[in-house]
Amino acid sequence: MEKKEKIIMTVTIGIMCFLLVMIIFMQFKVVQESEKTDINTLQATELRQELANWKTKYEEAKEKYDETAETLKTYKEESSAESKTKQTLEEELEKLEKALGRTDVEGEGVIITLSEKKQSDLKEDEEIVSINAEDLITIVNSLKDSGAEAISINDERIVNSTDIVDVGDTIKINSKHLRTNEYQIKAIGNGSYLESSIFGKGGYSETLDSSGIKAEIQKSNRVQISKYNGEFETNYIEEAK
Amino acid sequence: MNKWTEAIILMIMCFMLGAAIVIQVNTVNNNGTTNSSNQEESNLKSQVLKMKEKYENQYEELEKISKELEETRQQATSNNSELEELESKIKEDNLILGNTDVTGTGVKITLTDGKEASQLDTESLLVHAENVLAVVNELKNAGAEAIAINGNRVVSTTAISCDGNVIIVNGEKISSPIEITAIGLSEQLATLNRAGGTLEYFTGLGKIVDFKKSQNIQIPKYTGVYSFRYANTK
Repeated sequence: MEKKEKIIMTVTIGIMCFLLVMIIFMQFKVVQESEKTDINTLQATELRQELANWKTKYEEAKEKYDETAETLKTYKEESSAESKTKQTLEEELEKLEKALGRTDVEGEGVIITLSEKKQSDLKEDEEIVSINAEDLITIVNSLKDSGAEAISINDERIVNSTDIVDVGDTIKINSKHLRTNEYQIKAIGNGSYLESSIFGKGGYSETLDSSGIKAEIQKSNRVQISKYNGEFETNYIEEAK
Repeated sequence: MNKWTEAIILMIMCFMLGAAIVIQVNTVNNNGTTNSSNQEESNLKSQVLKMKEKYENQYEELEKISKELEETRQQATSNNSELEELESKIKEDNLILGNTDVTGTGVKITLTDGKEASQLDTESLLVHAENVLAVVNELKNAGAEAIAINGNRVVSTTAISCDGNVIIVNGEKISSPIEITAIGLSEQLATLNRAGGTLEYFTGLGKIVDFKKSQNIQIPKYTGVYSFRYANTK
């Protein structure tokens, strides 16, 4: 009888151990599943973003299509009246010139001022660093990324062919050499988007600040950006047949 | 004594079983949510594909009508030198804006993530958005008249940014190898490849750089649209 009880006891303990192991496995599974769920929600966010991107692209293409259809109609209808044709041509040209940056523009946007900190403003571990081309390139790129429609640096308009390079102690933008320690970057677009692209958490203003450059921003509903006065070179490109 | 022990063991067992059931239920619940988010995901995926297709169809239509417009415009302006001049100006502007496929002499630069696990940290082996941005800026400085990154035309509004391991150009995700093509005077564009230049610097960091001059570079047009919602002409 005593022996039988012992066997029962052993079996019971065996079952318990088995159950414990099972529980542990289940626990693992639960943890894994919940991790999977996290990944899924991340993907869902990404997918939503992608959906929004395609939607914007679609809407832009649709808008452009309607505009083109309208222009086409005018050419077809008024093919006899030259004055009307001329007007349509000029309207088309006006839009292209605007896209090229050959017109003065005005609208909602931001004005960012970069200046080198004074010796007295510096923290202990900081030293005076001058603003270089890379800083300006980074800022311009961030502004474009957040939808800037027009940008200028010290009234030099950023266009398709614009390069920003260090040349000695000047910064060359387009073909103009700027020798200054204060830069004013203007951008037209959604003011909040533009601001957060540079001044948001982890934005480039933090990098500038830690390297001794003061960055300030001013939002405005009437930012004025002047046109590009230079030339566009087309010596080597040819329309593909 | 023995009976007490047995009773306690039984109690513990019941407790364990109860706990196991609760956990089981939890797992099932979790499975439930996973399934529903899977469903949501596939739903979203199909929505994305649908929207993409919608865009592609619309873009195709746009291409057709743009071509028709060009032909009609040409017809409407023939026989009148003043109008012809305006028409050729429109063509010229479209060429500069990147609204046409173009060809010409130039260079092709390919940047690939380095593989060697040398003494350098892996970050410097990778091709980053700012590396591509630097190359594009230098190409412009060397007089490039048209530039594309993996077939995405660089225009005035093009941003080159990164999102984790991918580089985003004109909203399109690309990753190594990055192929940058540029049209211009090849000898001048080749300054990027000079000793002590940017490309040599990249090689020094462990990235793989390939540089080729070519007589026939082809660069596709910009597939986006210039739209102004905030900027008004004064």
